[in-house]
Amino acid sequence: MTRTLAVAALLLLVLAPPLVASNQFLLHLGITVLLWTLLGTAWNMLGGFAGQVSFGHATFFGVGAYTTMILYLKAGLAPWYGMLLGGLVAVLVSLPIGLICFRLRGPYFSLSTLAVAEIVRLVALNWEALTNGPVGLLITTLPRATVGGRLVNWESKLPFYYIIAALALASMLATYRLSRARLGAYLLAIREDEDAAESIGIATVRAKVLTLALSAFFAGMGGGFYGLYYRYVDPDAVFPIALSVEMVFIAVVGGLATVTGPVIGAIFLTTIGETFRERFLVGHLIFYGLFMMLVIRYLPEGIWGGARRAWAGRR
Amino acid sequence: MALLSVADLTRDFGGLRAVSRFSFDVEPGQILGLIGPNGAGKTTVFNLITGFLQPSAGHIALEGRSVVGLRPHLVTRRGIARTFQVVKPFPKLPVRENVTLAAFSHEASRLRAEALAAEMLERVGLGDKLEVPASDLTLGEQKRLEIARALATRPKLLLLDEPMGGLNPREVDGACALVGQIRADGVTVILVEHVMKAIMRISDRVVVIHHGEKIADGAPERVVQDPGVIAAYLGTRVAQS
Repeated sequence: MTRTLAVAALLLLVLAPPLVASNQFLLHLGITVLLWTLLGTAWNMLGGFAGQVSFGHATFFGVGAYTTMILYLKAGLAPWYGMLLGGLVAVLVSLPIGLICFRLRGPYFSLSTLAVAEIVRLVALNWEALTNGPVGLLITTLPRATVGGRLVNWESKLPFYYIIAALALASMLATYRLSRARLGAYLLAIREDEDAAESIGIATVRAKVLTLALSAFFAGMGGGFYGLYYRYVDPDAVFPIALSVEMVFIAVVGGLATVTGPVIGAIFLTTIGETFRERFLVGHLIFYGLFMMLVIRYLPEGIWGGARRAWAGRR
Repeated sequence: MALLSVADLTRDFGGLRAVSRFSFDVEPGQILGLIGPNGAGKTTVFNLITGFLQPSAGHIALEGRSVVGLRPHLVTRRGIARTFQVVKPFPKLPVRENVTLAAFSHEASRLRAEALAAEMLERVGLGDKLEVPASDLTLGEQKRLEIARALATRPKLLLLDEPMGGLNPREVDGACALVGQIRADGVTVILVEHVMKAIMRISDRVVVIHHGEKIADGAPERVVQDPGVIAAYLGTRVAQS
């Protein structure tokens, strides 16, 4: 029942806006929500299921964004293929990071991911031959593409909406599959007690590295989409700590270790962020912070987790 | 051949030698009691055998094959399972899932793993609590849950770290019966325990460790009369009187 409802709400969310909205702002808002859904979902695989709180996921986002941009600008590879490769390069980057950081546990792991993300940001800032440094990389025109014989209009936001909707859905589907798979069960055990998990024969490091790779893949694709959509990346736009932290917020506010949680988190945080930014130019982050505090105090399982509990209690 | 043989096992923590040239063998089907005063190194020995700590020196072999250097999950897959002194259940997961996860170490099908988990839980007397979150169990029940979880990995050797600590006398009787049953089912047991009544009743052999060194090894009734052991527990003055 809940599942059918969720699927219906999701389809509505994905299919309805382009039909009703010739309004470019609403479409942009939808794209933003879906991009954050993708990123929150990617983070949630590792942070929600395995309980490994990464404060460095901007690394994978940034690597995906730069890979997409560089492959297009230097090798002429169309950004939609670049996006996929961006995800794969993010996976490659995640492997050494996982093998190093997963030696640490709890807050030490979190701090190490923060440190790695800063290192990667500084490399991007200073490796000018590859990244053009602080000036950033700019795509002026996107290559021609046809879908079903019709030329894609890159000046409209509609094609972007469909691309990001497909990516967000794919990430949610992957989360659903993960939650049903043996690996997903192992991750919950690791979240609950890593020593106990190890003691019953679970290869904990392997499980965490695999999950980080999956998570990095979707975060990297998100970065690639960012490059494609904004056509401009620089280190401060795609590698900032704030981006990593936002992914954490979305998963926590929505509901850790749930498929639907990050969608709810993305909707709430994006709309609240935009609303308060409009109303209060100065200090809008105070309200954002207040909202976070209220959710953590009164809905520790997140909005979706709390709603699900209330629903179960009513029956 | 001994099931487990430990030879010259040594572990240093900085300048402190927690375990020093410690050697013992366990024969298949035995219940071996490992006792010693607080801080003697019992839990360190368990952590060394199960791969949670690496020895500074020495050998550990299961059925003649070394297990030194293996990560804990690989030691488990070789056939050594353990419980923890301070219980470590998966608190938010249902009791049955706690044990099912352990059955996955040799059982690919979830259905069969769950059936095995239910069977193990039945054996330790938790058959009516399958869907309860592990955190809702009493301490005694959590200790039994850990034993069921360890058994679900199909071990040859089971290391129990104070399975009776904090239990009331009735629960201790139940735990003794359970350990006897586990041995009857063909699993060899090493037992760290402070409840002497239990150790005396169920151990075939007792090894005493003090300051990381072995000071006695033999039948339980002989070991408790050993002057060195009495001195370790009560001081030399009592031992001489």
